[in-house]
Formats: sequence, C-alpha cells, structure tokens
Amino acid sequence: MPNIFRSIIFVMTSLFMMSVATPALSAGETTFADYKYVLQISDMDPSKQVLVLNNAANLLDAYPPGAVTVEIVAYGPGLRLLFANNIHAKRIDSLSQSGVRFSACNNTLQGMTKQLGYKPKLNPDAVVVPGGVVRIGDLERKGYVYIRP
Amino acid sequence: MGDKKLFKRTLISAALALGFTVTNTASAYDWLMMQGTEPAAASVPAHVFGFVQAGFMKDYSSANATGNVYVPPKLLGPNLDAQSGFNISHAQVGVRGTGFPLDDHINYFVLMEAGNTGLNNTSTGKSGPVMTDASVTLNYIKGARVRVGLFKTPGSDEGMQSTIATTYMDFSEVTNQLLLERFPNAVYTGNILPQTQAQLQASGQPLNGFAKPVGGFRDSGVQVFDSFDMGKDWSLTYAAMIGQGSGIELNNLDGKYDTYLYLATEKNLASTGPANGLKFYVWSQSGQRLADVTNDTVANPQLYKRDRSGFGVDYMARPYRVSFEYISADGMIFEGPDKPSYTFVSTNGSTAKANGWYLDGGWYVPNTKWELDARYDTVDLNTGATDEHTFTKTTLGVQYNFNPKAHVTLNYELRDFKCTASTTACTNANKNLSGVGNKIGMQVTTAF
Repeated sequence: MPNIFRSIIFVMTSLFMMSVATPALSAGETTFADYKYVLQISDMDPSKQVLVLNNAANLLDAYPPGAVTVEIVAYGPGLRLLFANNIHAKRIDSLSQSGVRFSACNNTLQGMTKQLGYKPKLNPDAVVVPGGVVRIGDLERKGYVYIRP
Repeated sequence: MGDKKLFKRTLISAALALGFTVTNTASAYDWLMMQGTEPAAASVPAHVFGFVQAGFMKDYSSANATGNVYVPPKLLGPNLDAQSGFNISHAQVGVRGTGFPLDDHINYFVLMEAGNTGLNNTSTGKSGPVMTDASVTLNYIKGARVRVGLFKTPGSDEGMQSTIATTYMDFSEVTNQLLLERFPNAVYTGNILPQTQAQLQASGQPLNGFAKPVGGFRDSGVQVFDSFDMGKDWSLTYAAMIGQGSGIELNNLDGKYDTYLYLATEKNLASTGPANGLKFYVWSQSGQRLADVTNDTVANPQLYKRDRSGFGVDYMARPYRVSFEYISADGMIFEGPDKPSYTFVSTNGSTAKANGWYLDGGWYVPNTKWELDARYDTVDLNTGATDEHTFTKTTLGVQYNFNPKAHVTLNYELRDFKCTASTTACTNANKNLSGVGNKIGMQVTTAF
C-alpha cells in the first residue's frame, strides 16, 4: 500500500477514535472564544453556589464581550444549584442570557430521582449531560481551564 | 433586571436566610420568611447559629424619699435588685435547616436561651436554659406554607426582629408593657410593696411576682403563611396563626386559642444597599387569659380578653433608616412586675386599655463603621382610668459595627414616667415614679 494511503487511513482512523472517545461539542456549544473556563460545583455548602456564580460573573466582566466562554458543571450535591426552584434561579437565567452554560449531571439526576421517588425539576437553562465528571474532562481536553471554587 | 443588581439581591437574600446574617440595625426585613423558611435548594441539613449579648447598665433613679424605697422601673431587670451591673441578656444557640436537603418541602428551626432574661428568671428563681423556638415548616402548598410548633408570632416588628438586629438595649416601653407578655399566676398574688435597698439585698424580697416566664413574643400553635412576588420589586407577605396563648410554656390551661393575623407589603430596595427597603405592615392578635384578680384565698380565675393590634412602616435607605409603629391594646394590661395579678391600686388591668407608639431613626455615618440612633416611644396605660399612666422614653444610641456580625452599643435613656390622672391614686403613684431617672448602658452583641 502506498504510504499516502496508509497516512490517510491512519488519520481517518485517529479522527474516528477521537470522535468516539471524546464527545464533540454540539454546534451550539462550539466556541471561538480565546478564553474558556469550566467551573465545578459539587458541594452541599450553599455558599459554594454563590461563589461559583460569582466566579462566572467575574469572568464575564474580566474579558471583552465574546472573548470568554464559561460553563458551570453541577453534579453530586452541587446539582441543587440547577434545581428549578433554587433561590438563585433568576441569577442563573441572567447569566445564561449572558452566555454562561450550565450542565447538569445525569448520573446525579438519576441517583436523586431514586432517593426522592420523583425526578427533580431542573432549571430550564440547564443542559443534562451524561456525567458531570466526564463533561469536565471533555472540556479540559478542549482547552478549558478547570476551576473548582 | 441587570445581573449586578440581581447578584446583590440574591447574595443578600441568601446570606440572610442562611443564618440571620442581619447586619446591625435592620429595617424592612421580612422576619416571617427569614425565620420560617430556608432558601430553596440552597439549605444545609443543620446550620448552627446563635447570639451572645453582654452588657452593663446603670440606672440613675432615686428612691422614694418616703421610706427610701424602690419600685421596678428604678431597678435593672430581670433581677430587679440593683441599679447597676453586668448581665448576659442573651446567650442563644440554635440549629436550623432542611433535614433532607434534596427535599425543600420541610425545614426546621430550634433555638435555646441560656442568658439571664425574663424567659428564665421568674419569681421562683432562675432556671437553666429554656427552649424558645422549636418548629417545623411544611412547604407543600404553594402560597400556604404551614409552620407548626413554638416560634415567634406574627406581629410587631420590634417583637419579631432578630437579636442581632436590635439597636437598643431595652425594648420601647410600648412593646415592653403591651407585647412582652407576663402571664398571671394561677391564683391571686398580692402586690409587692416598694423595697428598700436592704430588702432588695436580702433574699426572698423579689420585686417580680410573676411565676411564669415572659412570653418572648412567642406562642405554640400552627401558622399558615407565605410571601408573594408582586412585581416591580414589591412583595406581599401574610400569616394567620392559631396559638395557645401561653408564650414559651407549652400548655393550654384555659382551653382557649389565640388568633394572629399579619399582612405586610415590602418594596425591595436591596439593589441600592444591604437591607434597603420600604415595608408597611398591619397585624392583630386576639385571645383570652385566665386571671384571678380577686383578693381572697379562693382560686377563682376568670377569662379576660387580650386583644392587641398595630400597624407600622420601616424604611431603610442607607445611610438613613426610620421606623414607626402604633400599637393598641384591650385587656390584660400589664401593671408592673410587682403587680402579678394585674391589679393596680384601683384599676383591674385585666379589663383596662392602652395604646402607644414609637418612632425610631438612624444614620449610618458614611465611610465609617459608626451608626447614630434615636428613638422616642410612649405608652398610655389604663386609658381613662383613675390611675392612667404615661411612660415616655427617649433613647439615644451610638453603635460601632466591628463587622456584620458584631457590634457594640452605647445607649442613654431619658425617661419620664408618670401617673396622669388627677386622683389620689395617681398622687401616691407619682411619689414613686417621680424619681425614675435616666439610664446608661453599653452592650456587645455578636452572632455566629
């Protein structure tokens, strides 16, 4: 087999493997921002909810419009931040309108559903992802800076 | 609403709800919601909180020249045996939260008092710590939360406010006389005569004849309440409660129940500064009390009505704040700790009427931690009776706020207590009241 064909097959195979191993960001999540941050919220402590939202707001303020992408990934006890009735819901909506993305861990959601006996209603701004930790890993591989307040 | 504005409001509301992080003087707070609910999806299973309040007071009143005796207003409570001294007016520890944090439908609130107060210092002596609050709130019905247990009743703003929010060492006289309830003894107990210093220093001469603790603005029962967002930063809060009318004591000896109604509307101005707001409120309390006012050895208590109502306004726009409240009372008018059966010389306080008001203002000195306060309050007791009294007090205060959870307060009270009717009863009463002088005090308050 000519080397050129070997190279093409190698590249295509590599791209296929990468696409399987690392779920691509959807079209709506594609970012051309120069700065990318993923913030983790997994604590029970309510003050962490305020802190992570402050971090997101401060990041938006720190860069010119469109220059920064911020995603908050909530899992474990921290998923309560994205409950529909959370005290910070209005602020989450405001941040969402400013471009901040909110990801809710489906693993946690399933676990909470079992404990509660019903599925907790999530904030409409939240996007359910298969796993919070996986999502953070994916974003880090995409060049996001990981922050855990 | 801009994000920064929303951020401030959210931060303040969350901080307040998470543990009474009320900073110094508080105006326009929604005490009902702050004390009865937890922040949705942002509470903890057990949040430990509390208050410590320690201070010194000196009363400059002079003894009645006739007999060199003292009456309660000339002595420091709750002991009523000295004119100067240190006291721990509050030492409270509590726990609140949502037992199962995933489920916001149920929250609880427990608070104990270990200070030296009217809650645990009675004619029978000083008891240990007492439970002042223990309640569970069920948040299943939108617009109709249900709180069950022992807790502060919906009513006067001065009575509902948190310890950390108190600006003054003493309550206004109208609140102290009409709302800080003293419960009659089971059987008639004669009035205690004014005491000499020697009598006060000797044991067994207490000037407080009440065997039961003061009500502490609390009752046990069930309350339906909630707050609604009316738009444009206005909210509406209501409460309806049925209680036993027994204060912090869990009994219902008379078999009757008190009803409490409360309605408030508030304009939230938190975006312009912490706790800024404008609140209008109106409330009423109606019940009956057993009292034996017959001076004999037979236990013959009868039911007397005890009605209270009021309205007020709080306005906070830093650096200024102002509060006003008017209170009226019908029945069960407290005649003093030395008159445990509600009987003055010629007036049966159980059937008397009263009314009063207070006007309170403050100025937060810009760019400093200092705060200047002044309050004028007055109460007219036994209105229209032969021994009608008027207690008027002006309190000047300076407060230094170390941080949002600690402050030191300096108060100076100018007092004018007198019996106003042209009667022999008043002539005699004024011999004791004419010597009521001013008071000074300093107090440190901290919350955790």
